[in-house]
Amino acid sequence: MNEALILSNAMLWAAVLALLVAVLALSRQIGILYERVAPMGALTMDSGPKPGESAPHFHLPSLDGREVQIGHAGARSQLLFFLSPTCPVCKKLLPILKSVHKAESGWLDIVLASDGEQPEHEAFRRRADLGAFPYLLSAELGMKFRISKLPYAVLIGEDGRIRAKGLINSREQLDSLFAARDLGVASVQEYLDQPQFAKERA
Amino acid sequence: MNGLFFPSALDPVPGHTAALTLAAVLLIAAIGKLRDAALFREVLANYDLLPAALLSPASVALPLLEALAGALLLWPDSRPVGAPLALGLLALVTAGIVINLLRGRHRIDCGCGGNDVHTPLSWSLVARNALLAVLGAAASMPVADRPTVWLDTLAAAAATLFLLGLYACANQMLSNHPRLIELRDAP
Repeated sequence: MNEALILSNAMLWAAVLALLVAVLALSRQIGILYERVAPMGALTMDSGPKPGESAPHFHLPSLDGREVQIGHAGARSQLLFFLSPTCPVCKKLLPILKSVHKAESGWLDIVLASDGEQPEHEAFRRRADLGAFPYLLSAELGMKFRISKLPYAVLIGEDGRIRAKGLINSREQLDSLFAARDLGVASVQEYLDQPQFAKERA
Repeated sequence: MNGLFFPSALDPVPGHTAALTLAAVLLIAAIGKLRDAALFREVLANYDLLPAALLSPASVALPLLEALAGALLLWPDSRPVGAPLALGLLALVTAGIVINLLRGRHRIDCGCGGNDVHTPLSWSLVARNALLAVLGAAASMPVADRPTVWLDTLAAAAATLFLLGLYACANQMLSNHPRLIELRDAP
């Protein structure tokens, strides 16, 4: 009798833990589904203007009063960096952005973009010492580029075409945008998907 | 009957389960925060409670205290120290959440999920922390002196895994919920 109870107890524990794993997996899957079916489409990789296409044209005032042109062909490339004052990852990347600004100043203009209340952004700009960058406030800009996750970067070439874009969580990801540009592909993932690498990975 | 609801000592199985679960929760959270201290500093800055000069030391001190509380909860001998420390930390961070909820700043990241999960502040988080505090209270109670057998070890281990899984589920749902609301309110 005792042995039967012990066995059934152990089996029940195993069953409970297995069910819990299933519930956890389901709730994760539901989280991914919510993300994918969200109205703005968090499938950011596939929505909005694609790399290779011309960037939408904008003519916007920066917080410091300068006029900034987005998407026009010119002598220099542009890196549009979408951020928000309440996004911790964005703020963590600001020092990296400043060093990129210094290192790549020969060919690249970095433009910060966000939307919301102007006083809040002005305070953030002062506090984070972002005076060197133009800072745009425009909901329309984010909508045209289909930004639903932050921080997000779009690299626009001197010809006004989008060279690369993606969600940025680290310096490596920012560098991969430039690498993608140098290789002439939309993203490093696409580069790795090319035939010569497909064989290696298989 | 009174002894069942207000026992002076807890049976070893629920006692160890509560302490080990809370220890694992604290240790996992502390490791996540220490691995990316720069990010946690910005999360703390969002809470808007500390002066800028204290942000960097606090972003290291808080997870270190968390890890210490977790480690002290692991062994029965050090639990009388670890449990109050864990309860104090829980009260501290929950107060931070409550203050920001009352300020209406519920969109900021709680900093309690992993690094890629965005979990905004909500009263459900406060409820979650209250449940963790119940575990802390259970862990601070003396453990009853009863001879234990291997089946008790199995029960405590399985129950700990179960509570940790439940905690992971709760966190996932806390991060899902705002997206569900967004979807429901979408035009």
